[in-house]
Amino acid sequence: MDFSTSIAAILSLFIFSFLYRDNPFYKIAEHLLVGVSVGYFLVISIDNVLIPKIADPLFERKDWSVVVPLFGGALILARLIPKWSKWSQIALAVVIGVGAGVAIPATLQAQILTQMKASMFSFVPPENSIGWLYVVERIVILLGLTSVLAYFFFSKEHRGAFGIYTRVGTYFLMIFFGATFGYTVMSRLSLLIGRIQFLLEDWLGLLN
Amino acid sequence: MKRQQVYLLILASITIPLFLPLGLKHKVTPEVERFYQTVESLPAGSTVIVSFDFEASTIAETKPLAQAVLRHLFARNVSVVSLSMLAEGTGLGYSFLREVADEFGRKYGEDYIFLGFRPQYQATILGLGEDFAKVFPKDYSGNNLSDISLTQNVRNYEGISLIISVADGDLPQYWVDYAQTRYQKPVLAAVTAAMATTYYPYLSSGQFSGLVGGLKGAAEYEALLGQPGLGSKGMEAQSLGHLMIIALIIIGNLSYLIARKKI
Repeated sequence: MDFSTSIAAILSLFIFSFLYRDNPFYKIAEHLLVGVSVGYFLVISIDNVLIPKIADPLFERKDWSVVVPLFGGALILARLIPKWSKWSQIALAVVIGVGAGVAIPATLQAQILTQMKASMFSFVPPENSIGWLYVVERIVILLGLTSVLAYFFFSKEHRGAFGIYTRVGTYFLMIFFGATFGYTVMSRLSLLIGRIQFLLEDWLGLLN
Repeated sequence: MKRQQVYLLILASITIPLFLPLGLKHKVTPEVERFYQTVESLPAGSTVIVSFDFEASTIAETKPLAQAVLRHLFARNVSVVSLSMLAEGTGLGYSFLREVADEFGRKYGEDYIFLGFRPQYQATILGLGEDFAKVFPKDYSGNNLSDISLTQNVRNYEGISLIISVADGDLPQYWVDYAQTRYQKPVLAAVTAAMATTYYPYLSSGQFSGLVGGLKGAAEYEALLGQPGLGSKGMEAQSLGHLMIIALIIIGNLSYLIARKKI
């Protein structure tokens, strides 16, 4: 058991103490986490971004082209001074314009067109599949997709046959929420197991 | 039942199996099998990108995932170009990479490299497609990329066979949007269980070539590798924890129904 492991273990116990009730030990650990996270982010940003992308080109290679994005970045900081804040809009306009230009075609292709294509399938089972199961799966996908889309169609009142169909959509949504919640519980439990393993194995050496 | 009693019951249900293994077995799911087979089909000597897209809070899930995937890659003599899209994942990813590489006696610069962290996902992913050295002139240790033998041979996605994102958030989606859609590079995702349901549509559409989710996914992957690790160790605790939560939900609902009848 080394010193850093003990520090980590004691801080974990401080955080767990909140399960009983709020207390000063929990507060100490919470504030340490916030401070260390911000400090770490700052150091990594300086070391991995500002030095190699700005300082090195500027001072080592005398590459003056980095002055342009540096000036754009500095303009964003103008928001902090009310008198100059309008200048930050130039930099923001570039960020939003370029960001949207890059994101829209990629998102449209990857998240709408390809997903739509994946939902257009044949009902004829391929040779290596269980025929009836393949057909049932496709029917469930089609029913789920169209009924959930119908549920989010608000230009027509959800009554009569259309209302029944949108209700089917809500059941599919509930199944999705249930599955997502189940996975989230599983995920959170894994985090707890990881911490217990750390305390019992790495800190106390009780597990083989 | 008091809140603290529920906590103690859950604590007991996950701690007991750590001391007294029950010998429970788990089945390998098709999505994990697909992930494994995709890596298995890589010819020796190929190069893949492994992106550590997670933060410290999810280390209990992401560490077993990252270790299992890296063990498979190094066992198959596949070279690894790695990076992180999140600042917190930088130090962690680097330490996992060094740990597994040392296990297999792999050499830094020849068999693997760690580029470090860059913010702005879109720009980084697109930039890597043109030239690694433009986005990362130096690696995490401060070596020029032009001096490293691995990046002398592999300069952009052209030399990359596969992209693997070990993530606890939406970064795998960015890899699909920009690397898979634009450069047609296959993407695999090893994600925390909380994110798994979000990514199943990408698996069925073929945008992901495989998906490993959470500690359970890591345990399945370790079973395929025949090398039990952190994932397998925690699975019995996970199973008993789930049983306890199910029991508590049933007890809670029954108590509610009984109390309502009395009113």
